[in-house]
Amino acid sequence: MNIDKLFSRASEKGISDIQVYLSDKTNLSIEIFEGDIDKYEISDTSSLIIRGIYNNKMGTFVTEVLEDEIIDEVVDTIIASAKEIDSLDDAIIYEGDKEYKKLDDIFNEELANLDVKKKIQTLKDMDKFLHEYDERMSVVETMYSENTNKVVLKNSKGLDLENIANSAYMGGSVIVKDDNDQRVGFDVLISNDFNDFDIKKIAKEIADNALAALGAKPVPSDDYEIVFSNGALATLFSAFQNVFSADAVQKNMSLLKGKLNEKIGSDLVTIVDDPFMKKSARSRSFDDEGVATAYKELIQDGVLKTYLHNLVTAKKDDVASTGNGFGGSVAAVNLKMESGKSKLDDMVQSMDEGIFITDVQGAHAGANAVSGDFSLQANGYYIKNGKKERPVALITVAGNFIDMLKDITLVGNDGKLSYYGVTTPSVKIKSMPVSGS
Amino acid sequence: MLLEKKLIEKILDTALETGADFSEVFIENRNASVLQSVSGRLEKSNNSKSFGVGVRIAKSTQSVYAYTNSKNPDDLIKLASDLSKSFNDENKIERTPLMELEVGKKHQVKIKPSDVALKDKVKLLKQSYIAASSFDEVIKQVMVYLIDDEQIVLIANSEGRFVTETRVRVRLMTSAIASDNGMMQTGSSGDGSGKGYEFFDEMDIDGHGEEAARIAKTMLYADDCPSGVMPVIINNAFGGVIFHEACGHSLEATSVAKNASVFSGKKGTKIAADIVNAIDDGTIENAWGSANYDDEGYPQRRRVLIKDGILNSYMIDKINARRMNEEPTGSSRRQNYKFSPTSRMSNTYIDNGDSTLDEMIKDTEYGLFAKKLGGGSVNPGNGDFNFSVMEGYMIRDGKIAEPVKGAALVGNGGDILHKIDMIANNLERQRGMCGSASGSIPADVGQPSVRVQAITVGGKKKGAK
Repeated sequence: MNIDKLFSRASEKGISDIQVYLSDKTNLSIEIFEGDIDKYEISDTSSLIIRGIYNNKMGTFVTEVLEDEIIDEVVDTIIASAKEIDSLDDAIIYEGDKEYKKLDDIFNEELANLDVKKKIQTLKDMDKFLHEYDERMSVVETMYSENTNKVVLKNSKGLDLENIANSAYMGGSVIVKDDNDQRVGFDVLISNDFNDFDIKKIAKEIADNALAALGAKPVPSDDYEIVFSNGALATLFSAFQNVFSADAVQKNMSLLKGKLNEKIGSDLVTIVDDPFMKKSARSRSFDDEGVATAYKELIQDGVLKTYLHNLVTAKKDDVASTGNGFGGSVAAVNLKMESGKSKLDDMVQSMDEGIFITDVQGAHAGANAVSGDFSLQANGYYIKNGKKERPVALITVAGNFIDMLKDITLVGNDGKLSYYGVTTPSVKIKSMPVSGS
Repeated sequence: MLLEKKLIEKILDTALETGADFSEVFIENRNASVLQSVSGRLEKSNNSKSFGVGVRIAKSTQSVYAYTNSKNPDDLIKLASDLSKSFNDENKIERTPLMELEVGKKHQVKIKPSDVALKDKVKLLKQSYIAASSFDEVIKQVMVYLIDDEQIVLIANSEGRFVTETRVRVRLMTSAIASDNGMMQTGSSGDGSGKGYEFFDEMDIDGHGEEAARIAKTMLYADDCPSGVMPVIINNAFGGVIFHEACGHSLEATSVAKNASVFSGKKGTKIAADIVNAIDDGTIENAWGSANYDDEGYPQRRRVLIKDGILNSYMIDKINARRMNEEPTGSSRRQNYKFSPTSRMSNTYIDNGDSTLDEMIKDTEYGLFAKKLGGGSVNPGNGDFNFSVMEGYMIRDGKIAEPVKGAALVGNGGDILHKIDMIANNLERQRGMCGSASGSIPADVGQPSVRVQAITVGGKKKGAK
């Protein structure tokens, strides 16, 4: 689409300010099943998000049709929307910041140029390794996915920004079977450096975890000491990301309302948003509104330091945007709970009687980001006198996210970037109700 | 037409040049709108327009997929050509000439979203807001969403199949937040349809707004749910998500064909109590999960999944049909052109039994009445599932007692179907969005009220009576 033409047409029809956000995405996805390529997908797509201010209200149009012929439709729809919007929020298009951090390690050209045959072969090697690993290995799938995302932001206030990032994940999922039971294992590694994909290491972890879970049964319902693995905490954590959003706070939808500068978590809890994280395709130097992103502590040593803001929520609270205006609302870029000093093994061994939870499921429905309450399906190991006694499955672990932050007694040194885009270490919690047999 | 027929044929041919035995083009043109009101004021009016082309090529059970939103003929042919390089066989297959199939007459739409003025759409949001916010003073926040979607698809394949279809969906949802004394709880309610805006003339908009508020208020003053194993009566309508998660996903060929489902190889065997009959029906007129054709261009149909407790049919897409040596069942669906299609549910439900809800409650000394369920998930690999209870009550001495919050139910899909011991006669379906391999798609869940003898209930309160 001819952007100049769009801008001048918009201006002619009475739109005071306008912004376009162009996103070009390419993806390659490969899955190997039983030694053969089961999925091979390539794609190349572009989309444009257009936001325009008319009578101080913001209208939005998203399109994958990029021909000039739709310019009038875009402009007319934005105006029609703006006429109906009666929200009291300000409509702001940003003139830009003085400086934007240069991020040069988020696009790795080598990854994009690496021969696809090498990627396929690596997956096949992993498939073979898993099949030969143990005779109880029943179904094996290995997968690789690679994305490149280029965004360009231009507005009528003269802003013109560009960001390009790529990332990939490689991993596998298995089903293991013995005479009495069937268990699953899944994990992925995320990076934009192919050399980081140590497939034997991750394959071994997936297989070992699945095999160790064979014969898992519920434990009696009771309160237990809990250790969450880094992966299990990531699932839980990602379900509650929205509590930090100033938008949620202002709409009375966050438990963190009125808690700024209060102690809301244990001393061991520090949570940051790091938009400059290396090897994360989410990393950005500017948000969707054109505001420069910034590293910030949300919770420092247990004290809530700031909410996440976009331009509109910031103006309401009379603060500066934190550069978290994403997707028409507010979101973190790379949310990270800082690692602590404890080794996972030591944490597990420190439990007299407890559950080491390696995985939780159902967070999309079983975790309520407004009330903070959760009750989730979990599996892992029953720990007695610091030793793994047996695998556990089909239990639930319940609690409240904010209470849990207070009850963290140990933080692991094993922070890991998860599939959900959050980085978490393993943690130990004083006690939580578990439902089982 | 979305693309010239000649160009479609050229893409199909190019895709077959390296010896593949099947090629398919999926073209999608879509207009959607999402309106969101907060505290009664329209905050967002987002309109979107998408267009894309997906090309799929297969040889035996191997398939490859590519998509783009370019309309440029050279780009599209290059895409097919690049993709075809995955195969290398000198034996080429002759393409069957395209034969246009009649667009089905079912699922007619009277008022298309594009024919409705924004002003009139906004009225629906305000109506629901007023119903919810005036319900009680503890209701501190109300959000209403109105979604409409008009999707035009064209599916053509090397076997001569050539189908176009327009699918319209509308949905109005209200969520309310009740707050008192530093505590907050949410409730939501809404309805949707495969009809156009005429649907809102029949929908009880006020009723759903009030319902969202009522649930939020009830849960605000509810106790934490006790944990433990107990009988659970799962109410009708959205309660059907239990079958959807616990069993439905494990009956999709996506997992069955790879021997990755607890129900692989179980066709013709007993997998449920005798009283259980389960159906997946993509032909119900204007239902949320219906269509004339599936996303491979096969007619949607009604599938009896479980008949008197016996596994009768899986849901099977074209490629997995090859793996399973069975016929496709018209079950292939996808969110949009960005996904290769695979076997998915449409409108799935447990059929009526001959008990009543009253009888069930009277017959239960102690247990949980899960009146409204939230969502859930399953791992088809071993059938372990979970789902959350949005509105629950304890049952004591055959009577509904105090409300309880924060309950989750966990169990195993292979196991729970055998533990259903009473089924009521009040079947209803309800709208849901189902996420799986080929993206997020509209699907109805449904059931009459059902009693499960014993299931693990997870709540924050420590155990038992």
